[in-house]
Amino acid sequence: MLTFERPTETAVAATVNSLRASYGDRTVTTHAVREHHSHGEGMQDSALPDVVVFPETNEEIASILKLCNQARIPVIAYGTGTSLEGHLKALYGGVCLDLSRMTKVLEINPEDLDCRVQAGVTREQLNADIRHTGLFFPIDPGANASIGGMSATRASGTNAVRYGTMRENVLGLTVITPDGRIIKTGTRARKSSAGYDLTRLYIGSEGTLGIITEIQLKLYGVPERISAAVCQFGDLHGAVNTVIMAMQLGIPMARIELLDDMQMQACIKYSKLEGLEPKPTLFMEFHGTDAYVSEQIEQMKSITADHGGSDYRFADKPEDRSKLWKARHDVYWAGMSFVPGKQCFATDTCVPISRLADCITEAKRIADASGLICMIVGHVGDGNFHVQITFDPNNADEHQRADDAASRIALVAIEMGGTCTGEHGIGIHKLDALKVEHGEGVDVMRTIKQALDPHNIMNPGKTIPMQ
Amino acid sequence: MIESWQNQIKAAAAKGEKLTIHGSGSKSFLAPQGQGEVLDTRAHAGIVEYDPKELVIVVRCGTAIADVEKAMAAADQMLAFEPPHFGEHATMGGMVASSLSGPRRPYSGAVRDFVLGCKVIDGKGDHLSFGGKVMKNVAGFDVSRLLTGSLGTLGVITEVSFKCLPLPKAQQTRAFEMDAQSAIVAMNRWYAEANPVTATTWVNGKLYVRLAGAEPAVNSAVARLGGEALSDDVDWWRDWREQSHAFFGGDGPLIRVSCKSTAQWGDLANGADMQAIDWGGAQRWLRTASIALPAIREWARAEGGHASVFRGATSQAERSESLQPALSEVSQKIKASFDPYNVFPSLS
Ligand SMILES: Cc1cc2nc3c(=O)[nH]c(=O)nc-3n(C[C@H](O)[C@H](O)[C@H](O)COP(=O)(O)OP(=O)(O)OC[C@H]3O[C@@H](n4cnc5c(N)ncnc54)[C@H](O)[C@@H]3O)c2cc1C
Repeated sequence: MLTFERPTETAVAATVNSLRASYGDRTVTTHAVREHHSHGEGMQDSALPDVVVFPETNEEIASILKLCNQARIPVIAYGTGTSLEGHLKALYGGVCLDLSRMTKVLEINPEDLDCRVQAGVTREQLNADIRHTGLFFPIDPGANASIGGMSATRASGTNAVRYGTMRENVLGLTVITPDGRIIKTGTRARKSSAGYDLTRLYIGSEGTLGIITEIQLKLYGVPERISAAVCQFGDLHGAVNTVIMAMQLGIPMARIELLDDMQMQACIKYSKLEGLEPKPTLFMEFHGTDAYVSEQIEQMKSITADHGGSDYRFADKPEDRSKLWKARHDVYWAGMSFVPGKQCFATDTCVPISRLADCITEAKRIADASGLICMIVGHVGDGNFHVQITFDPNNADEHQRADDAASRIALVAIEMGGTCTGEHGIGIHKLDALKVEHGEGVDVMRTIKQALDPHNIMNPGKTIPMQ
Repeated sequence: MIESWQNQIKAAAAKGEKLTIHGSGSKSFLAPQGQGEVLDTRAHAGIVEYDPKELVIVVRCGTAIADVEKAMAAADQMLAFEPPHFGEHATMGGMVASSLSGPRRPYSGAVRDFVLGCKVIDGKGDHLSFGGKVMKNVAGFDVSRLLTGSLGTLGVITEVSFKCLPLPKAQQTRAFEMDAQSAIVAMNRWYAEANPVTATTWVNGKLYVRLAGAEPAVNSAVARLGGEALSDDVDWWRDWREQSHAFFGGDGPLIRVSCKSTAQWGDLANGADMQAIDWGGAQRWLRTASIALPAIREWARAEGGHASVFRGATSQAERSESLQPALSEVSQKIKASFDPYNVFPSLS
C-alpha cells in the first residue's frame, strides 16, 4: 500500500522560503499562477500546488528534489499542461516544477539521425529547429506538448502507425531521482549484462518515479514525397474495415485517421473544411519515394473502392496538408465548441486490429444509449480510438451518464484483449481500470514505485493505485 | 507446468535457495553460470494464439524460435527484429530474456519494440500478466520492457505476445568494394535518404546493403545505389546473424562495441581483417586474441558508447562495464521488487 499525507503548513512554508532563497522570483506563489498549474485539459478537476518553481538546470532540479524528499513535500512536473487524465492535479498540494525554461536543443546529429533536447522543448519548437537539416520528429499529439511531458506520458499521435510512439523513439534520458541523483539511461549507455531497460520504465511513468530533464530522440529524413488524401464513406463499417484491411496487407501508411459523421460535422464547422460532408471519413498520408507513394495510393484506392469509399481528395501542397492535419489535431476543440455550454472528454481505448470493428460498434452503441452527443475519432491504424463525449458540467445527471459511458467503453476494450488507454495515460481517472486490466500486476508496479520513491513524493496519487 | 514452477520458486524462496532459468542454453555464454536447481523453460512450449489477421502471435517461453518463424513465414509474416538463434533449439523465452536483435535492428526496431505483453512468475511465485495484444498501451509502468533483457534475474517469463509484420514482397542485397570509413558514411547516408534499407554490414573490405520492401521501392533503390547483386543473400544474412560467417571463426574473444553510428573507423584491433561494422555503424565487432579491452572501452566511451566481450569472456567485468552507482542502485531496487528473496541469479 502507498500512503501520503498532506505536509503541514509549516513544512510547506519552510520549503517555499528555502526555494525562494535559492531561486528568487522563479519561485511563484500567486494564486493565478498556481491555478494555471493546477490542472491539465479534459475533465475539469483541479487542485492547487502550494508553489510553482521554474528551474533551469539539472542541478537545480536535483537540489529541489533533495529538499522536497527530506521535507516529504510532493513534486509535480509540469510540461505544457495538456495531459487529459488529471495528471497535474495537486492532490496534496506541494511543489509544481514548471520545465518551460528548459528549452535548449542540446545536440542535433544529422548524420546519426538523433538529437538531445531539454524537457521543456515542445514538439513544434523541435521541428522548427531541425527543419534546416532535412530531418523531422514524427510524434505529434494534438497539442503542442513538451518533449518531457510526451516522454512522461509515452505519447503518440497521427504518425505512430508508421513511426511508433515515444516508446520507440526515445534513445535515452537524463532523469533526476527523488533523492536528487542525476542518472543517464539509454541504448548506448553502459548497462549491466542484465540490462534493465530503465529508459522504458521512465517513459510513461507520468512523473511518479523521477523528473526527466533531457531526452535523446530519433529523427527521420523528410521523405522524398508526401501525399495526403481524404476519403469519405457511406457508413462507419466501410471506413473501419478499410483500415483493418490496409493494416493486414501491411501497407506502410504514415497516417490513417478515422472521423465519424458527428466528428466530421464538428470539424467542418470548427476548421471550416470545404467540400467535405458530415460522413465517416479517413484522413490518410503516404510517405516514401515517388514510385513507392504512387504504389501505396493505388493499393489503398482499390481497398477503399471495395468498401464504398469516395474518390480521393488529395492535399499535396504543404499548406493544404497543414490545414488538413491542423483540423485533425483540433478535433478536441471542435468537439468542445460543437454544443455551446457543454464540455467534452475523450475515452482512449486501444484493441487488437482484428477487434477494431467490433469495439467501435459496441462503443457507438454505448455512446448512443447515453443520450449524449458523442463523436468518434482515432488513430485507427493502431487500433486506438477516442469517443468524445459531450456533457453539461453543471448537470449532475449528464456528468454521471458521461462517466458511466466512458467506463463501460473502457471495460469493453479490456474484454476484447485491449487496453483502457492507448496514449493518454492513467493519471487519476483510470486507476480503477488499470486494476481491471493488470490485476495483481499492479502490485509489482506499486512495489517498484515504493522502491524508487520511498517517500512517495513524486506526483503522489497518480498512475499506480495507492492500494 | 506453471503451478509446479510456482511451487518450485516458493520452495526455493522459503529455503533461501537459488534457481537458474534455462532454455536450450544457446545464449548461456552471455551470463555467468547460474546456481541452484535448474528450471527448464522448454517444458512450457507451444504457440498459444496465432491468427495472422491480428498481427499478433502469443507463444509460451519454451517454444523454439525456429518453430515460431516457420509458422509465421507460412502466413507471410515475420519477427521483424530478426533474432539470432545461436542454436537449433533456441527458445522464445531466452530470446526475450537476452534481448538480442539481428541485422534488421536499426531499421525495424529491437526485440523490446515488438514485445506487446508478457506473463511472468516473480520471485514470490506469483504469476503476473503485463501488457497484452495491442500496439499501444500506456496503462501503468512498462513492465514488459523491463523483463525484456532481464536475463532471468527478475522471474520466469512464461508467455510473450509479439507484434508481427508482413514479410517484404521483394528483397535484394547489393555488395560494394569499399574501405571501412567510406562504408560508414555510405551506410548512414543511404538510410537517411529513405532507401528501403533493412541491413548493412561491412566485413573484409566489402559493404553489404540489404534492401527490402515493395518491389518498386527496392528496384528504384537498386538503380540508385548500384553495387553488385549478392546471389545467395538469404543464406549470407543468416550466417552473419548466427555468427557462423568466417569472420566469427577462431578462438579469440569477440568484442562487441556499441557506438555512434558515424563514429570514425579506429584502428583498434590488430588489423582491419579483425573488425566488422554492423547496424549502420552503430555496432562494431572486434576479433582479437591480444585483447586490449580498456583501450577499446576508452574509444567506445569517446564515441558515446561502450564495449564488452560478447563471446569468450573470462570474467563478468569483461562481459559488462560497471554501472554509474545511482543507475546500479535503481537496477538493484527493481530486482528486489520482483525477487525479494533473491531466488534468481543476482544482477552482475
Ligand atoms: C487537443 C489535445 C490533443 C491531444 N492529442 C493527443 C494525442 O494525439 N496523443 C497523445 O498521446 N496525447 C494527446 N494529448 C494529450 C497530451 O497532449 C499528451 O499527454 C502530452 O504528452 C502531454 O505533454 P505535456 O507537456 O502537456 O505534459 P503535462 O500535461 O504538463 O504533464 C503530463 C504528465 O507528465 C508529467 N511530466 C511532464 N513533464 C515531465 C518531466 N519532464 N519529467 C517527468 N514527468 C513529467 C506530469 O507530471 C504529468 O503527470 C492531447 C491533448 C490535447 C489537449
